[in-house]
Amino acid sequence: MSVTEQQQPGPDNGSGNDPREALHDRIGADSLTTRRDYLRIVATVSGGLAVGGLAVAGGILHRHGETEDGKAPAPKRIAAQLLPGESLAFRYPGDEDRAVAVRMDDGTLVGYSAVCTHLACAVLWRKDRGTEGELYCPCHEGVFDARTGEVTAGPPPRGLPKVVMTELEDGSIWAVGTTRSGESVEEGLCRQLRQDRPDLATRIGCPGTGGGAEAPPAPVPSAPAAPDGTATGGR
Amino acid sequence: MTEPLEPVEPPRPPDPAGTAYPDYHPGSARPELNRPLHERYPQIRPTSGYADPRVRHTGPGPGAGSEQEPERSAKLTARLVLALSVVIGQLWALTEVVNVWMEGDTGTAWWGAGFLCLSFLVVLGLWLLDPKDR
Repeated sequence: MSVTEQQQPGPDNGSGNDPREALHDRIGADSLTTRRDYLRIVATVSGGLAVGGLAVAGGILHRHGETEDGKAPAPKRIAAQLLPGESLAFRYPGDEDRAVAVRMDDGTLVGYSAVCTHLACAVLWRKDRGTEGELYCPCHEGVFDARTGEVTAGPPPRGLPKVVMTELEDGSIWAVGTTRSGESVEEGLCRQLRQDRPDLATRIGCPGTGGGAEAPPAPVPSAPAAPDGTATGGR
Repeated sequence: MTEPLEPVEPPRPPDPAGTAYPDYHPGSARPELNRPLHERYPQIRPTSGYADPRVRHTGPGPGAGSEQEPERSAKLTARLVLALSVVIGQLWALTEVVNVWMEGDTGTAWWGAGFLCLSFLVVLGLWLLDPKDR
C-alpha cells in the first residue's frame, strides 16, 4: 500500500472520531458560563470598584508634596544656577516626589511634578516643541503647558502639580513649596501655612483665616511667585 | 297449560380451589419486585420523563415540558445588561474620584465613594433579585 493510499480518508479515521476533538466539541456544547455566572462576576467587579473608591477617598494614593507628618515641606536648594532654556530634574520634597525645574527663555522660572498625571510616566522638558517649549510625556504623547502646567494635548486628565520655585541673589535655585493639580501657588501656600503657621497665614490674608486686614501688600513675601506658578527671580 | 318447571340453578363453574386457577393477588410473586419504585430504581426521580428537574411548573398539562415563563430569559438578560451599565458608570466614577482627590477636593471624593457603594448595592440587588433563576 502506498503512502497516498494510507492517507485516503476512510470511515474510521475521519475528523469526527478524534477523541480530543470530540472532547472539545462536548466542552463547547456545554454552557460552561451562564448568564447568571456573568451576573455574579459583574457583582464582584462592582464590589471591587466600590472598595477602590473608598480606598482612594481614604487617601491610599500618594499626592505630590504630601509628607507623612502632614507639615509643609522645608525649602530645599536644588541648584547653584539654572540658565535660560535649561531644565533640571530633582526630587522635592520627598525622595519619591520627582520634579522638574525649567528656566524659560525669557527668564521665567517654573517647577512642576515630573510624574505624568495619566499613568505616572516621567515628564520631560522639550525645548524644541511648541513655541517656547513644552513639558512632554513620551509614553502616551501627553503635553503640558510650560507656564501653567495645564494639559494641552494627550490623555492626561489633569494638570501637573506645581513646585514653587524661587531664586536667591546668588543665583541659587530653591524649591519652597508644592501645590496640587489645578491649584494656584497662593492656594497651595495658604493651605500649607494654615496648617503649620496660621498666624502667618492670617497676616498675609489667606482666605479662610479671617485675617487680611493687617496683610502686607505683597501676597506671599516668602515666595514671590506669579499666580500662574512662575517665579521670576525673586529675592 | 304447562306447569312451570322447577327453578333450577344455573350451572356454576367448578370451584377453582384445588383446580388449575391460582389465587389472584396484585403484584409479583417475587417479593423483591414488589418494593416501591424508588427503591427499585433510584435513578428515577419525580420529574423523570418530563424535563430538566430544575425547571419549575412543567406539566402535565398544556405546554408540559416547555418553558412556562417565556419572559424569564429576557429578564435575566436585562438584569445582566443593567448590571453592566452600572459597572461602566462605576468605572467613570472611580476616575472622577481619583481626579478630585488628587486635586485636593476630599469632600467630593467621599461623595463619589458613596456613589460607588450605592451602585454596588444596585448591582447586588440585581444579582439577588431572583436567586433561583438560571
